[in-house]
Amino acid sequence: MRMLLVEDNDELAETVLDRLRHEGHSVDREADGEEANALLRHARFDIILLDINLPGRSGYEVLRSMRSRGDSTPVIVLTARSEIDDRVVGLDAGADDYMVKPVDFRELSARCRVLARRRAGASSNLFTAGTLRFDRAAKLAFVSDKPIELRAKELQLLEVMIDNLGRMLTKEEVADKLYTFRESPSLNAVEQLVTRLRRKLEGTPLVIKTARGLGYLPYVSDDE
Amino acid sequence: MNNAPRLGAGNEAPRPEATPDEPRSLKWRLLSSMAAGFALLLLLMSVLLWNYSRAASNRTFDLLLAGAALAMLERVSFNADGPTVDLPQSAMDILALASDDRVVYRVFAPAYGEITGTPDLPLPAADPSAAPVFYNDKLNEGFRFIVQGRQITSAAGRDWVFVQIGQTLNARREQQGTLFLYGMAGLAGVSLIGLGFVWLAIRTSLAPLGTIAASLLARNPRDLSPIEGAPPQEISDLFRAINGFIAQLRRSRALTESFIADVAHQTRTSLSAVQGQLALAVDADSPEAMRARLVKAEAQGNKTVHLTNQLLANAMVIHRSDQAQLDPMELRPLVRDTLAELLRDRRLREITISYEDAQLPDGVGRIRGDAISIREALRNLIDNAIRHGGPENSILIELDGDTRSIRLTVSDGGPGIAPADRARATERFTSINRDTAGSGLGLAIVRSVAEGHDAKLELGASQLGGLRASLIFPRLAALLAALLLTPIAAKASELTIFGATDRAAIEPVLDAFEAKVPGWTISYREFQTVDLYDAVLAGEGPPDVVISSAMDLQVDLVNRGMAQRFVLPEDSQPPDWARWRDELYGFTFEPAAILYNKRILSREDLPNSHRDLSSFIRDHEAELKGRVGGYDLRRSGIGYLYATQDLIQSVQAQRLFEVLGRASARVYLGTAEMTRATGSGEIALALNVISSYAMALVPDHPDVGVHFLSDYNLVMSRTAFVPKTARAPAMAARFVAFLLSPEGQSLIDRDTPLIPIAAAGAPLTDSARLLRASSGSFLPIRLGPGLLTFLDRLKREEVLRSWDAAMAGNGN
Repeated sequence: MRMLLVEDNDELAETVLDRLRHEGHSVDREADGEEANALLRHARFDIILLDINLPGRSGYEVLRSMRSRGDSTPVIVLTARSEIDDRVVGLDAGADDYMVKPVDFRELSARCRVLARRRAGASSNLFTAGTLRFDRAAKLAFVSDKPIELRAKELQLLEVMIDNLGRMLTKEEVADKLYTFRESPSLNAVEQLVTRLRRKLEGTPLVIKTARGLGYLPYVSDDE
Repeated sequence: MNNAPRLGAGNEAPRPEATPDEPRSLKWRLLSSMAAGFALLLLLMSVLLWNYSRAASNRTFDLLLAGAALAMLERVSFNADGPTVDLPQSAMDILALASDDRVVYRVFAPAYGEITGTPDLPLPAADPSAAPVFYNDKLNEGFRFIVQGRQITSAAGRDWVFVQIGQTLNARREQQGTLFLYGMAGLAGVSLIGLGFVWLAIRTSLAPLGTIAASLLARNPRDLSPIEGAPPQEISDLFRAINGFIAQLRRSRALTESFIADVAHQTRTSLSAVQGQLALAVDADSPEAMRARLVKAEAQGNKTVHLTNQLLANAMVIHRSDQAQLDPMELRPLVRDTLAELLRDRRLREITISYEDAQLPDGVGRIRGDAISIREALRNLIDNAIRHGGPENSILIELDGDTRSIRLTVSDGGPGIAPADRARATERFTSINRDTAGSGLGLAIVRSVAEGHDAKLELGASQLGGLRASLIFPRLAALLAALLLTPIAAKASELTIFGATDRAAIEPVLDAFEAKVPGWTISYREFQTVDLYDAVLAGEGPPDVVISSAMDLQVDLVNRGMAQRFVLPEDSQPPDWARWRDELYGFTFEPAAILYNKRILSREDLPNSHRDLSSFIRDHEAELKGRVGGYDLRRSGIGYLYATQDLIQSVQAQRLFEVLGRASARVYLGTAEMTRATGSGEIALALNVISSYAMALVPDHPDVGVHFLSDYNLVMSRTAFVPKTARAPAMAARFVAFLLSPEGQSLIDRDTPLIPIAAAGAPLTDSARLLRASSGSFLPIRLGPGLLTFLDRLKREEVLRSWDAAMAGNGN
């Protein structure tokens, strides 16, 4: 993956760069907010790791001008502040994730993978996770190269889950995405649908975790 | 410019002088307000004194006039030519006691004319008699006069002779001035002395403030002991506040000191361990040994990171509980969002997580709180639950509460904490289980958050087997919550309307309003006007809005103090005649009209004025016998209103009663019945019907014609008020405002048989157009106490009696 690290502390930047390059990613680094902003105007990356306290231009501003340009590249904000306020994750700035320093490298890699997968799932027609393969255009899912039979709603649900990897979805949100206004589904129907889909996905690394009273969290288990 | 150098020069001027910008001293405030009070008092006294001294000086000098008059009268006698007077010296002497004043006098007898003195002096308004009459009048300057008379026996009998004396006012004015000045001088002196005492009193009572200031100034900055002393009652609050502040400062300094000591100890210890492992790694003999050391160093490094994070979190939470203002907030979304975020933690993947908030009363968890601190507390509780919950863990987060508190509970499936250890568990750097120990700060952070929110932290045993930790927040006052969340407050979501208007007529308005306020339903109960009045008086319901066409009965209810005041927006105000006291508002315009059956009567025959109306019925008594309709005045409030308003307008109304009686008029309760009866030809003519209703019914009864008179046509307005007993007064006021809003008015015009009161826009319906055409003769009935006259018991009985008599005399 092609990544950009925007971080002004050289020591920290060096360790992150080493780690990510070691994992096989190609990583660029900027130390200055202004320069990062200029770079982002013409260069494309798969993921951006963005510090908040930067010389030149703060991370928030870099992020905001990216989003106002329509650039939807996934961004993980790195911050040393422990009081995370809504400016970071909220719609305002539009970060996809954030981590508080000091950052655990394994966690950072995992989060990058989740974002990359979510982006790939949404932008390309083919989604692969371990034994699971899903062809969005053909509306076909395969486990270990064997097609599995999915009803229309189950297909839709699978799509929703893949688009929201690593995100909490409430039951109501799932219902909203699956059913039209006129169908007015019961939340029970959603539960049964999830149970059925989960059974058909058994053996694949795509997990739909249920948190009772909160909703569903889809994730890919071999992203550890 | 003035302030800057002074602030820097702290040594020379420890207490900054009062600059013009600063508030005046308390002494000056007290003294100046007392002085202003005294001045006001003096002003009042001077008015009184001025009047008093005028009365006193008049009294004094009137005695002179009276003495002189008596003296003159004594000298009046009769001679052959008639009465005469021998003017006594003493009289003038007495008058001369007021030395600077001019005198005029006159003696006269009505039977004989002027006898002596200046003729034609102004006489008093009252007839003069034997008693003295004093009065002021003007000749070329102000004079004070006396007139006094006496009967004298003459040859012809007894005759009156009068003496009139006048005197200018100089002496009186002088006397008045002197009295006034002496009085004022005395009062001013007393006031000054009083102010002196006030000044002394102020100085002595404010002295304790100076003592406090001196004791604080003399204090060494490290001295945080409370100020000693017994302050007077009035400043004991200030005293307590200062001491409370000092105590808080002391506590916070003690906390800071112990925190710094703890932090120093913990971080140094932890860093030493890291350093030690790294040093050993550097000196290691083999790569394997070095790797083992590095692995340990990394683990220790992670612990140090965690410790530092927790220390900072603890410091932040304590700092925020000191600094941050607690805002009203809803706990439920905060908990849900925090959980959704925490769930991404990979440690939680193998753990069963449940969340439960169905037990929350009303589904509302409003407290006064700081979101950042509460999020930190919840994160720590969950972190603890993960850390100590064991391998087959499940975590339950609950949000519930009662009327006074909201409880946030986290339970886990681990071994829990033994009751004996629970108190200790919330202390800093205490870990109960060494195997699963973290930084030893988790529960201490939670406790700090609880303390900052006046909340309680309760530790107990969970049903899952492990620890159950609850944060119990005081619930934000239910009233406040209801105000902030009106749409959610489920219980008050019904608006009750009592109305004396056909449901079918008003339904479109009710539906439109219901659509505007989701979650609210309207319950409408229909009454006759008089029944509605009785029901509201009897306290039935209580309704949120009362609507009736009987304006007088509505005014009576409002006059009894039963309505609430509320102000309508600028664009929704009805005309002046249709509102009273910001409590009662009219929202329709409904003229009274005459209905007639077109097949029986032709328009040309119909009378054009109230006078002609009586004559018309009388002249056609035979044809119209039993075929004229009108309201039953006893049972219909609107009928009684129209009839009594007619009585005010002209005497014809009384005559109309008699004519109707002779014509055996039939009585009805409502416009609809009268319209039907007219349409079927059962009656030929119906009087004082509500034209709006009638016109809406005309399409079903093609033979019915609507007729207006040219002298005047009464106009009634349906009125609405919100009773003081309303359960949803805000929504009720919104409903009335809706009735009168441009939207509501055009809705009334378009979708109901009623006619809106607002003249805005083009008339949409036939009835509105017809009304516009004859608008000149409309006479709106004005809301106000004037409508109460005919509600007076005796007055009402009289009206109804004469109506009864007229109706009974019809020979049926």
